[in-house]
Amino acid sequence: MTRTMIARVVRVLAALGAAAVVVSLTATETIPRMPDGHPDLQGTYDLATLTPLERAAGSSLVLTDEQAAKLERQAAQQVATGDAPLKADRSAPPLGGDGSIGAAGNVGGYNRFWLDPGSHYTMLDGQRRASILIDPPDGRVPQVTPDARQRNTRAVRATSDQQIRENDPGLEPEGSYDDPERRPLGERCLLGFASTSGPPVLPNYFYNNLHQIVQTRDSVMILTEMVHDARVIRMNAQHLPKTIRRWLGDSIGRWDGDTLVVDTMNFTDKTRFRGSTENLHVVERFSRVDARTVRYQFTVEDPATWTRSWTGEYAWPATKDLIYEYACHEANYALEDILRGARLKEKETKR
Amino acid sequence: MRSRLSILAAAAGVVMAAAIPVLAHHAFGGEFDPNKPVLLKGTVTKVEWVNPHAWIHLEVAKPDGTKEEWMVEGGTPNTLLRRGITKESLKIGTALVVDGYQARDHSQLRANGRNVTFPDGRKLFLGSSGTGAPTDGADPTEGRGRGRGGQK
Repeated sequence: MTRTMIARVVRVLAALGAAAVVVSLTATETIPRMPDGHPDLQGTYDLATLTPLERAAGSSLVLTDEQAAKLERQAAQQVATGDAPLKADRSAPPLGGDGSIGAAGNVGGYNRFWLDPGSHYTMLDGQRRASILIDPPDGRVPQVTPDARQRNTRAVRATSDQQIRENDPGLEPEGSYDDPERRPLGERCLLGFASTSGPPVLPNYFYNNLHQIVQTRDSVMILTEMVHDARVIRMNAQHLPKTIRRWLGDSIGRWDGDTLVVDTMNFTDKTRFRGSTENLHVVERFSRVDARTVRYQFTVEDPATWTRSWTGEYAWPATKDLIYEYACHEANYALEDILRGARLKEKETKR
Repeated sequence: MRSRLSILAAAAGVVMAAAIPVLAHHAFGGEFDPNKPVLLKGTVTKVEWVNPHAWIHLEVAKPDGTKEEWMVEGGTPNTLLRRGITKESLKIGTALVVDGYQARDHSQLRANGRNVTFPDGRKLFLGSSGTGAPTDGADPTEGRGRGRGGQK
């Protein structure tokens, strides 16, 4: 090799080295870091999104810009319609119920102005996502095992009185109202509904989707506004003994490069994420996309509930909004009314 | 109204997909009687700005002239707080019209605030007059409220 060639090679290598330094500096600069060098995940995040957990069978994970824009316009139009005035001289709603289904249980819910759902589809890797679920690739929660189906049906003791269900479609099956312990954890102010607090943490598509991350070397805390749940993730620790069960499970964390990996087990047998057992195992991965966005990925497995594990991901965008104390249960007339209604119905049935 | 219900239905659909009916977040159907529709015209006497549901107390005049106090269930106040709306935004004495269903226990003068409006039909917290709400959407050039703009 001639001296000129060697000089040229050295110059090229030097340039490559300089480029590598620039690249690594850029990467370092774009995400905030803690004094220990790990990414700083701290902040308040608004998880509200239009992206549902699952998507329609056969549809693509990625929405085109046109599809996303159209769906977002439709959502905005629904909001505008919901906010529009009503007739000044309206009458009472129809006798026998207004036909609304689901949570609004044939009597309607309440005005849209109380709600604060998402207005955009979640964006990762420059793509608007049609579902949070990415694996299985069809974007659908895997099949529930026959055992799980039986277990969950037993848990609500389906009513044999078909007539009651037909006459009163808003009413849940008999037995659901027997005591406060049978009521959903959200209604009892124990956990937010629809896995708001997680893990896995999911948007609830109604309101109060704010979460705050506070991070130290030894622990990471995730505060969920609804229902005021604080999950403390112990870093580089071992799981608690199986006998110690927690509403939010026992979470331990470790750094895998620039990704915070959180492993959670030891749930209570009442937490029941989508009908899972207390042996639910959740692995979450938190990584910084940029100074304002965290990528949140989770994998859940519970062989007694699903035929395979499944994985989802979505963006957690930072917000300047404030988290307020939820202070649930103070003057919770609703739970009292629900149980009163059931006792009254029992008396009427005995007559 | 239809949109409100469809939002609730869509969200409920997500919940119900769990195949465990008791996961529904709040049993409106268990709490209120579909066979007791009510239309309440009254004035605000008290606002309980609490979770999981705010309650608006109304003094309602009966046809015979006597008055009774009704309680109307709303949503979570946190959402409104973020828009700068507090319990003080709904002044005592404000005239309201509520349509909903009475609690299944009829000895309770409680109803769901299926629709809560001013007497002219405007939805609460959206039209400014009467509420004193600092951001009300009446002015299209105005931001939605504290800290909302451009944060999504």
